[in-house]
Amino acid sequence: MRFMLIDRITRLEPGQRIEAIKTLSLAEEYLADHFPLFPVMPGVFMLEALTQCSAWLIRVSENFAHSMVVLSEARNVKYNDFVSPGQKLIVTAEILSQTEHETKLKAQGVVDGNINVSARLVLRRYNLADERPDQAAADENLRRHLRGLLTILRPPEAEPAVVYLSRRKTAETISPELL
Amino acid sequence: MRWFWFDRYLEFESGKRAVAIKNVSLAEEHLHDHFPGAPTMPNSLIIEGLAQTAGLLVGEAKNFERRVVLAKLSKALFYLPARPGDTLTYRADVQEIREDGALVHCTSHIGDKLQAEAEIFFAYLSGKLAERFLFQPGDLLTWLQILRVFEVGKTADGGPLQMPAKFAAHNRLVNGA
Amino acid sequence: MPSEAEVFDKVKTCLVDALGVDDDEVTPTASIMGDLGAESIDWLDIVFKLEKTFGIKISQSELSPEDILTSAEYVQDGKVNAAGLDKLKQRMPFLDLAKFVANPAVNEFSQLLTVQDMVRFVLSKVN
Repeated sequence: MRFMLIDRITRLEPGQRIEAIKTLSLAEEYLADHFPLFPVMPGVFMLEALTQCSAWLIRVSENFAHSMVVLSEARNVKYNDFVSPGQKLIVTAEILSQTEHETKLKAQGVVDGNINVSARLVLRRYNLADERPDQAAADENLRRHLRGLLTILRPPEAEPAVVYLSRRKTAETISPELL
Repeated sequence: MRWFWFDRYLEFESGKRAVAIKNVSLAEEHLHDHFPGAPTMPNSLIIEGLAQTAGLLVGEAKNFERRVVLAKLSKALFYLPARPGDTLTYRADVQEIREDGALVHCTSHIGDKLQAEAEIFFAYLSGKLAERFLFQPGDLLTWLQILRVFEVGKTADGGPLQMPAKFAAHNRLVNGA
Repeated sequence: MPSEAEVFDKVKTCLVDALGVDDDEVTPTASIMGDLGAESIDWLDIVFKLEKTFGIKISQSELSPEDILTSAEYVQDGKVNAAGLDKLKQRMPFLDLAKFVANPAVNEFSQLLTVQDMVRFVLSKVN
């Protein structure tokens, strides 16, 4: 299992809010234990999806200034219903306030228009080098990795066909009818 | 990844409290995504460890006759990161058990340092939601045995905790029992 | 004996903690399930916090009369009848039922219980 609880970011307003999707697939191994006869997304993974989408909002908003963005507090986490394989959990998070190292957010997960999970979160952001200067390289590697992950989560806009053609020719605009 | 977020009980007092441990190992896959170069136990999985430690305690309090679900995480606070090689000690203290639910206060320690604390509300389900089977017969019992519930467990009056009679038929661990 | 103002402050703290709402949202006339967004999952949390704060014992049916509201004896066509209204008055004397009597629809009931009602309820238990 890969510890990625967000599959795609659909909307992101830096400094404000984010919307993302977590799809639940029967192929996810942990479902074999949760539960053997009733596979459903564990509540803490619903919380992790809220945490991860909040973390992406923070990272993009501050242009990856901190490599580490982790859950510091979770409050009033309420579960109203299960998420079953085949369903899509639409997660949203909104920044309520920020300090130098902490961000307070309100987050929720919706399936078919119903709120399945809601929570108030505080995420802490820091660099490994804050405590250990020898970790500056690790920070940079992690930042690079996360930027790469973001391009998977937020695919760039569909590229115009002219980009492919320009691999053979120099950049040339081709009128749409010819494409 | 297996969905077992603590390794065994050290203490288990029926209806009252429990102490369990969770080893954090680089052999666990999720640490390599969270995060590359900085393996850190995800706090959501620590919550799950605390919830499992407390949830089985709350379930045993009704002799595993009522379905227990995590209803609400009133608060979960994290103070320190947990890293490979650490052993987390999870403590669950029942605040109250009622007809329809229970409140448990939980802590996680690394050595004697408080790593996290949480207040967890469990609901005892009734009706349709409680009818659906979750485990194959014997799965839950095997898990409880591996976690050593019946080795360290004590009843309210201090005697050894016995396996509920309804489980005995599914005991896979001991031959001819 | 605590004053109404003291009780209000403590009830406010309980509700802010249990529901994650802001301090200034908890006004005397705010309805717990309507304005403050409490759900059935939250009742256990609220009851526990009130009990701990005030050293009282509350049975959930005192604040949430599900049994009356779902009983065929007291409810007809989604409305609480006269016998049901009496039962509610008995069970929850701190509750101002005047508005509800005008339109006793079962699904309106949850909007009724206000912060002030809860304060009155706590006062009756503490004294």
